Amino acid sequence: MSSLPEKTLLRGTKIPSLEKLTPYIFILPAGLFLFAIMGYPMIFTIFMSFQKFNLATLVSKQTQFIGLANYQGVMGNPEFVVALQHSLIFTFASIFFQFLIGLGLAILFSKAFPLSNVMRGLLLSGWQIPSVVTGTIFLWLFNLDYGLINFILTSLNLVKEPIGWVTQADTALITVIIVNIWLGIPFNTILLTAGITGLPEDVFEAATVDGASAWQKLVYITIPLLRSTILAVLMLGFIYTLRVFDVIWIMTKGGPADATEVLPTFAYRLSFISFNFGQSAAVSVIILAILLIGAVGYLKFAVQEEGL
Amino acid sequence: MKQGTRETTLRFLVGLIATLIYLIPLYWMITTSVKPVDQIFQKPPMLFPSSFQTDSYRQIFGLATSRGDLYINAFLYLKNSLIIASVTMLLTLLMAVPAAYALSRFQFRGRSAFVLFLLIAQMLPSVLMVIPLFVLFKQWGIINISYTSVILADTALALPFTIIILRTSFLQIPIEIEEAAWIDGGSRLQVLFYIILPLVRSGMVAVAVFSFLVAWGEFVFALSFLQNVELQPISIGVFQFIGMYKSNFDSMMAFSTIVAIPAIIAFLFLQRQFISGMTAGSVK
Repeated sequence: MSSLPEKTLLRGTKIPSLEKLTPYIFILPAGLFLFAIMGYPMIFTIFMSFQKFNLATLVSKQTQFIGLANYQGVMGNPEFVVALQHSLIFTFASIFFQFLIGLGLAILFSKAFPLSNVMRGLLLSGWQIPSVVTGTIFLWLFNLDYGLINFILTSLNLVKEPIGWVTQADTALITVIIVNIWLGIPFNTILLTAGITGLPEDVFEAATVDGASAWQKLVYITIPLLRSTILAVLMLGFIYTLRVFDVIWIMTKGGPADATEVLPTFAYRLSFISFNFGQSAAVSVIILAILLIGAVGYLKFAVQEEGL
Repeated sequence: MKQGTRETTLRFLVGLIATLIYLIPLYWMITTSVKPVDQIFQKPPMLFPSSFQTDSYRQIFGLATSRGDLYINAFLYLKNSLIIASVTMLLTLLMAVPAAYALSRFQFRGRSAFVLFLLIAQMLPSVLMVIPLFVLFKQWGIINISYTSVILADTALALPFTIIILRTSFLQIPIEIEEAAWIDGGSRLQVLFYIILPLVRSGMVAVAVFSFLVAWGEFVFALSFLQNVELQPISIGVFQFIGMYKSNFDSMMAFSTIVAIPAIIAFLFLQRQFISGMTAGSVK
């Protein structure tokens, strides 16, 4: 160590200064931590998906490589196909309505009006509310006998009999989708509002002078100019919706039967109820692969914007 | 002019209706929690409770009421949640501050890769983390014996987003301020702690509250790692409650209100920071 400075000085190059190492020392704790608690476990999942891994393995730590057997087992399971279908329905239906409502609200709030700031604040207040609270409130709202929603529907004569929203197989999926739409509105509104606020004012003024209607301005100016924001919102929405687990587990646990089983609840059930960690890992890898499609698109965009 | 006022009125009305509809679940939660039981089961439901009771709250805290006792005590869950969320917050800040500072102030090899890694980490679903973490934590022997497992996992959940937001805060501080302090003889760490951190106070408060709330509301880690009731946080408390007392709606909503309050208060006070952080973290 002691001879190093001399040597480098002789060669006339710079000593690797502390200043140069500083950024690495600064990111080291976070980097190591995230690798240990996120990176390594994800690599571990991939290994697990090729192993026979169950409750006995957990104790003995004797793993056995079984190739693609977990994937074959999962693919051959009719439950998997059901969960995949539900995931797609859940994701696209949620995003469709979240996005439309979010865009509508963002356009509404793009011009100030009395109390507009207060209203926008209140409309976003659901964003940080814990999922267990959301799930519980909606269980009460959707309650068969005393829920507010059944009361409104029956008094308006929209339905004859109260609906067992989460207890009937044909309405359970719709119910969790409605809850998820409510959850996603703040996110969509915030991002789209930020996008609209950033649009150049003069284009709209020019269009008004040329006699464009509000609808024409929306279709021919706002939406094309918002293209990149919209793409980001949709791709992030895809990632954030496909992974939804909490509200579904809290409200229905994937049931009744498998009516609300989606890929995340299916993966969780395989691990924590069937203790088949190997197959659960295989489902996880499949979910990751689907998420990757959304993530790559989003990251391409984010990296461009971030100017990395 | 007339066109303008009509448009403003229309916007106001649509905004008002949308806000009211959106707030129904929260309104219904709070009013149900204080309604006397007969008003809860009344048809048509009472939109505005005509009288109030607090037994629902007293009951979940195990205080004396005219009703029977519950087998659930919110005090215990509240204590556990406060510990888990506070430690998560401290741990997150401790690692996020230097990392965010390095990302905002240094050009170094691997910087872009690290930001990319953070963006990916931020999108990683907790339900996918919980499966391998359960196996690993079990092998490390930290499942179900202390808060450690949940705190580690919650911190990993909060950390990437926290670094991304804090980095944006640091970027807003002009480098000249720092340079002036260095010339005056301050070391990097001194300048960071005594000059820069006070300047990014609002960003720090926002990420502190954010990481606290992540752990406060976290569900799936606690559900899977902590079977021991003595250790479970309040999110699991509510989940147990709805499993045990299916028609005890006022106490159920009282419990939910208690869990929701920190999130609602934080949002009302820190709305601007949250929103700018969210847009910075995901679009910009």
